[in-house]
Amino acid sequence: MIEAHGLSKHYGAKTAVDEVSFTVRPGVVTGFLGPNGAGKSTTMRLVMGLDRPSGGWVTVNGKPYAQHRSPLTEVGALLEAKAVHPGRSAYQHLRVLAATHGISTGRVDEVIELTGLESVARKRVGGFSLGMGQRLGIAAALLGDPKTLLLDEPVNGLDPEGVLWVRNLVRYLAGQGRTIFLSSHLMSEVAVTADHVIVIGKGKILADMPVKDLVDGASRRIVRVRTPQAAALDVALRAAGLTVQQGDDGALEVVDAEAAQVGEIAAAGGVVLHELTPVASTLEDAYMALTADAYMALTADSVEYRTEALSGGAGGGAGDGTPGPATTADTTADTTVTEGADR
Amino acid sequence: MSAVATTPRPAPSTPAARNVRVTFPRVVRSEWLKFRTLRSTVWTVAITVVLMVGISLMFAAIVQVAASTPEMQEGMAQDPDMQAAGGLRGIFVITVGYGFAQLAIAVLGALSITNEYSSGMIRSTFAAEPRRLPVLWAKLLVVVTVTVVLTVVALALAWLVTYPMLDANGLTADLSDPEQVRALVGTVLYLATIAALSLGVGVLLRHTAGAIATLVAVLFVVPLIFTIATQAGNVEWVRTVNKFLPTVAGEQVISTGPASGDLLEPWQGFAVLAAYAVAALVAAAVALKRRDT
Repeated sequence: MIEAHGLSKHYGAKTAVDEVSFTVRPGVVTGFLGPNGAGKSTTMRLVMGLDRPSGGWVTVNGKPYAQHRSPLTEVGALLEAKAVHPGRSAYQHLRVLAATHGISTGRVDEVIELTGLESVARKRVGGFSLGMGQRLGIAAALLGDPKTLLLDEPVNGLDPEGVLWVRNLVRYLAGQGRTIFLSSHLMSEVAVTADHVIVIGKGKILADMPVKDLVDGASRRIVRVRTPQAAALDVALRAAGLTVQQGDDGALEVVDAEAAQVGEIAAAGGVVLHELTPVASTLEDAYMALTADAYMALTADSVEYRTEALSGGAGGGAGDGTPGPATTADTTADTTVTEGADR
Repeated sequence: MSAVATTPRPAPSTPAARNVRVTFPRVVRSEWLKFRTLRSTVWTVAITVVLMVGISLMFAAIVQVAASTPEMQEGMAQDPDMQAAGGLRGIFVITVGYGFAQLAIAVLGALSITNEYSSGMIRSTFAAEPRRLPVLWAKLLVVVTVTVVLTVVALALAWLVTYPMLDANGLTADLSDPEQVRALVGTVLYLATIAALSLGVGVLLRHTAGAIATLVAVLFVVPLIFTIATQAGNVEWVRTVNKFLPTVAGEQVISTGPASGDLLEPWQGFAVLAAYAVAALVAAAVALKRRDT
């Protein structure tokens, strides 16, 4: 359980976290979603007592983190940057941390095995790939067998295999009843991993709800129709009370309608159809399109630096109702600067 | 669905896990592990010992050469004080390496914390011990203990390897002389205090290069400038500042022979150096507690 109340952090004149209040509940995976620079990492450092809040407070399992006498068994954290001396081996790094709590070397071996680091455990961390570094960070987080896990961008920079591994591990750990607080700038990642989502933008909480609600709330089902009699069909559909918009290359898009319904209206009006496609009907596509869209709509006003892809996606989502391209979120991720690079 | 699957419950804790918590001895153990698992620190310790012993050996050889010239032999036979005036005491030869060793020890003390800031390790450290101050005291204990042990070993080795040459000239260290014992103990205390001061500076500055540059300035450059200044002219404030410089004051506890009126008494001098170290550590503790990581 993590509780934040009115939590703020200013760095000089810049406000990184602005009076944020939220609760991360046990037994579920809570996603912490926001664009880069939104304040995710700062919030996580505040939770861990690494940065001092400028205002408000945050507790972990009822106490400020620093007041726990066995902090590693309360919270395990994977923080964004590598927090390891490159001259030590993975095994030595974990032993150093374990020693502070009297955690046995047996447990060190266990977490090495759990994270698949056996083959490189005796090598110096300086030579590790990004993926190996992330695994070591997760191993360190698991060292105290903590009730709560704080994972800052755990899939950042991982290859697809690594991403899948992290997802499965997080699911497995949540299944054991642990509290998991996982940050990401990718809506798609949060959608597949988390049960609950807290959306942050420019240091403020924008949404705090079950992932399902966030996705449903932004849902629009679209049926794409192609016909040589576009004008006639348009009139017929509007007469039936449906919203119609112009799609790509002359297709019509009917919002919030069933394919069958559109087909019947067309038949009743004697309109020939060349295509009738429920665009948002396959779950995966719909999910990607809608989540990207919902994410953009929520954060459009709170992104600090815009890129071409971002403005395009946000405009499409909020403006004429055209669904944003499913890849918007990922494109954004690739074109923005990594959070924390200024530290 | 069974109750187990629907009710969130804490992770299973094994009996062994119940004793898992942070204690100061465990933090010390962790810091000791950190210290000995880095090649850089292990090498620095080894180099410091070699440096101290090597310099003693070099001075012993110089003494040997000097003592074998007829003029010196004659002079020393007539006036025992001449040994002291020429710096030719056995105890001087054994302890002379401290001047160079202190740089290596300063690096050791500063690096023990700056390398955590530069690598990001500090976040792991403070996640494991979020109260922070025990980390500082544990580091202090480790660097001071290591410095004491390495200095004792280096002095013992220096005594051993220079013995044949010093003995041949009747210059061996005399442990029945309180002044000579004070010089030996003083060398250990002096270097241990330099280690503590350097750790404090390291915590305050956080950056390796900045901390080392500052320490080189404080330990070498500034005293050098003042030494030149005091010899160039007889200016009152220059002499006053000079005798209160950390190294100039601290070195008095190592020096033997006739005292200079311009400098502090041995233990007074050491107290001044110790005060600098305490001030640096107090400032470091306050900064550590207040700062963001």
